[in-house]
Amino acid sequence: MELDKMTAAAAAKAVNNREISARELTEAYLNRCTTLNSTLHSLVHIFEQEALRQAEAVDSLVSRGETALPLAGVPVVLKDDLCYSAGPTTWGAASLKNFQPPYTAAAAQKLIDAGAIIVGKANLDQFGLGSSAASSYAGPAANPRDPARPAGDGAAAAVAAGQCLLGLSSDSGGSLRMGASHCGLFGLRPTTGLVSRHGLYTHAPSFASVALAARDTADINLALQVISGYDSRDAATAAVKDGAPRAEGEKLSRSVKIGYPKDLFALLPHHTLSALEPARERYRAAGAEFVEITLPLFREALLAYYVIAYAEASSNLSRFDGIRFGLSAEGANLEEYYFKTRGAAFDAEAKRRVIIGTHLLSQDNFERYYRQAQKVWRLIRQSFATALEKCDLIMLPAVLAPAEAREESQDFLKAYIQGCFCAPVSLSGLPALSAPASEVGALPVGLQLVGRPFAETTLADLAGRAALPFKSPPVEVLSRKEDTHGI
Amino acid sequence: MEYEAVIGLEVHVELLTESKLFCKCPNRFTAEANSHTCEVCLGFPGALPLLNREAVQKALTAAVALNCEIALHSYFDRKNYFYPDMPKGYQISQYHVPLGRNGFLEVEDDSGALKKIRIGRVHMEEDAGKLVHAPAGLDSAVDYNRAGVPLIEIVTEPDLHSAGECRRYLEQLKSILQYAEVSDCKMEEGSLRCDANVSLRPRGSSILGNKTELKNMNSFKAVEKAVEYEIERQAQILRQGGSIIPQTRRWEEGKQVTVAMRDKLQAQDYRCFADPELAPIELTAAEVEAARRNLPEMASKRAARYVAEYGLPPYDAAVLTTTRGLSDYFEACLKLYPNPKEVSNWVMGDFTAHLSAAGVKPAEASFTPEYMASLLQMIDDQVISGKIAKEVMEKSFATGKSPRAIVEEEGLLQISDQSELEKIVDQVIAANPSGVENYRSGKTKALSFLVGQVMQATKGKANPGLVNKLLVEKLQQ
Repeated sequence: MELDKMTAAAAAKAVNNREISARELTEAYLNRCTTLNSTLHSLVHIFEQEALRQAEAVDSLVSRGETALPLAGVPVVLKDDLCYSAGPTTWGAASLKNFQPPYTAAAAQKLIDAGAIIVGKANLDQFGLGSSAASSYAGPAANPRDPARPAGDGAAAAVAAGQCLLGLSSDSGGSLRMGASHCGLFGLRPTTGLVSRHGLYTHAPSFASVALAARDTADINLALQVISGYDSRDAATAAVKDGAPRAEGEKLSRSVKIGYPKDLFALLPHHTLSALEPARERYRAAGAEFVEITLPLFREALLAYYVIAYAEASSNLSRFDGIRFGLSAEGANLEEYYFKTRGAAFDAEAKRRVIIGTHLLSQDNFERYYRQAQKVWRLIRQSFATALEKCDLIMLPAVLAPAEAREESQDFLKAYIQGCFCAPVSLSGLPALSAPASEVGALPVGLQLVGRPFAETTLADLAGRAALPFKSPPVEVLSRKEDTHGI
Repeated sequence: MEYEAVIGLEVHVELLTESKLFCKCPNRFTAEANSHTCEVCLGFPGALPLLNREAVQKALTAAVALNCEIALHSYFDRKNYFYPDMPKGYQISQYHVPLGRNGFLEVEDDSGALKKIRIGRVHMEEDAGKLVHAPAGLDSAVDYNRAGVPLIEIVTEPDLHSAGECRRYLEQLKSILQYAEVSDCKMEEGSLRCDANVSLRPRGSSILGNKTELKNMNSFKAVEKAVEYEIERQAQILRQGGSIIPQTRRWEEGKQVTVAMRDKLQAQDYRCFADPELAPIELTAAEVEAARRNLPEMASKRAARYVAEYGLPPYDAAVLTTTRGLSDYFEACLKLYPNPKEVSNWVMGDFTAHLSAAGVKPAEASFTPEYMASLLQMIDDQVISGKIAKEVMEKSFATGKSPRAIVEEEGLLQISDQSELEKIVDQVIAANPSGVENYRSGKTKALSFLVGQVMQATKGKANPGLVNKLLVEKLQQ
């Protein structure tokens, strides 16, 4: 069995058929987690004991043979903004290194209940602020396709590197969709309200979503089936209280109309744009028809995203005062206590967001920025809705370019601009799938498919026919040791 | 110059709900610190708030009871500021769109005339925790049991002009909210808190003077005293040509003075914005109408009815309607035993005394309206005397047994048998010659003495009317 060529569906099938035990599978992936992590830093925590305990529990369920567990023995990593009571949930922040929330995120628990094995917690930017997974205390997560470049998302890196077969990640402004693009994977941001966010740390509650990273669309469908559904602890899931409205997926079996905003593709650098041309051909070959659309205010939506995200971060990060959890400093009085504790707890990006967000929400600026951004938010949702009257789904770039080699001093504005195709989609609340589309100089780039509410399977089915298949990273890149592949 | 006081009150009231505003933790006092907490009310990352509909219902009831216009579409804002008792670094409150506005309450002014006090807004918010300071040393700890408890804030327009009006406003507010079962409004326990904004202006002027905000009053009396003190303090300053510094002042109960806490040169910017983790509160006109329809008859209306329909003295009516529990009890008794004055006497007297001795509410008393009715009926039927009835009530309170069972078990039946009583009357006459002499010489008071002797001899069981009759007959022989 070659671990780096497996899929979640195949692994679950093998475990359910008792071709391999969950314990054997888990040992193999744990081994790979450990050996590859010194190169990749894709994980901030590996659950050596707990994963084996879980695997034994799955094996005993399988041996009783009552019902097949949909994810029996499937190794999964959770991005470290998803709570898992078996260990700390640090958000990539040193100040939270010892913080162990007493509860497990709803989506993570559903995976566990379906037989999945949590092998590790994946790296991310501190406090989830960014889309390069480079700023955490664990160091930058390396891209398995080229460790000199950022992975974008630790969970995507772990899935691509074969440290696990599924990644339960998160996506606010596009971190998972961009990470999937950079690592040559499938990354799904589901419709708002389809998957419970209970137990997901967030700096931007308006946009935060649980997200999935997988090697093919069958695995995306399989995992989504498991994690979606109503949860009384997240009021937004009330939309799917009586089951997900999936009807829209059914009627698109034959000719799919893809809305193509040409003016937005024109923003791409030439080499990315030309690399994506063959991808469009594959979609045509898969039965899709392209129609030109426009998405008014798409560019302004990036600014609206940041105004709102800054404002929300300034409020959502206020709870880190060191009183109930996290780092706590000494102060001669209350003001000094806050100053020192929060001064030490936050990195530069967190401070930037808190300070600018505070400024944007202040009385003098509220109408000018925050209120204005809310208006743009409403209008961009309208843009998407109008466009989706003319087509079944919308194709957008996922990134401007493949992952760029890390620089010493990252220009934060440049990093923000990298998210120009993903963040506006976050405002829409629509499902978006980042799927491998092409390569630019041997590095993967993806395309985004944006669908109508709850049309996840439509996106996955089409991408399953037209996207590039997942490609394992070259062995020599992945490891400096020799004994880490397969069992 | 003569000054007029201009006062506005901000009242916070804890809602009587099962659970907290955004989580399922119990909304109940407990001495064990941080035992009624969870990831939501502790502000842990990854925990989402869930709106408690019962709290919305109570807040709606309060707003309609206070004659407010109701916003069918309102929402929660985050009020951002740091303090250790605020787990999230912001308080979830309704800032931009309150649930209710433009309400009013009718209160008597100092001359006894009814006037309307306008209520600017009624909005929902969550309570904070409590700081617990170590007795010695600098350390403080936080108890988050109260964090997330649902509150409503009720803000008046500056329509109050005296300390007495303030007290009467609070009494009226408390009565209405208790009747509507929105809150128990116990200021001493903190379920009702009141801040007062006080300023002075020359009588006749329409310009508002600089105001001070008074805090830390722990009873209605304290509010009255603090406002009174503050009016006098400001008047003295103004008379001496000084000016009032806008500031927050703290009422010192021990010294009966207000002292400056902090100056209010500029209002703090709380950067309020709609909480993105909570859906808006949507109400229908039908729900508002139902809340209005379901309001109970309030104390003032009940009292008026007791006077007009039952012919009760206004004093009785006022006492009986002090709380809804007592008033409901009175009315329940009346349904079974329709003699208002008799029921009133017993409810206001012995019944209330036993309630407070046992520390229970009327509805919790083992002495039910059925018991009361049967007790009073036994007096009417001359089965027991009023004196015995008092004892029976006391025993019933203690044991939960019905009055009839107690009377039967303990042989307390009234002696109405003439021949039996005659013997006792004869004995009393024989044993008290001086009493008899006094009566015969015209001192009619002596009769009550002799009646008393008979009652004593029968341990109160003698039918007092019959004793009277027999004594008079025998003494005149």
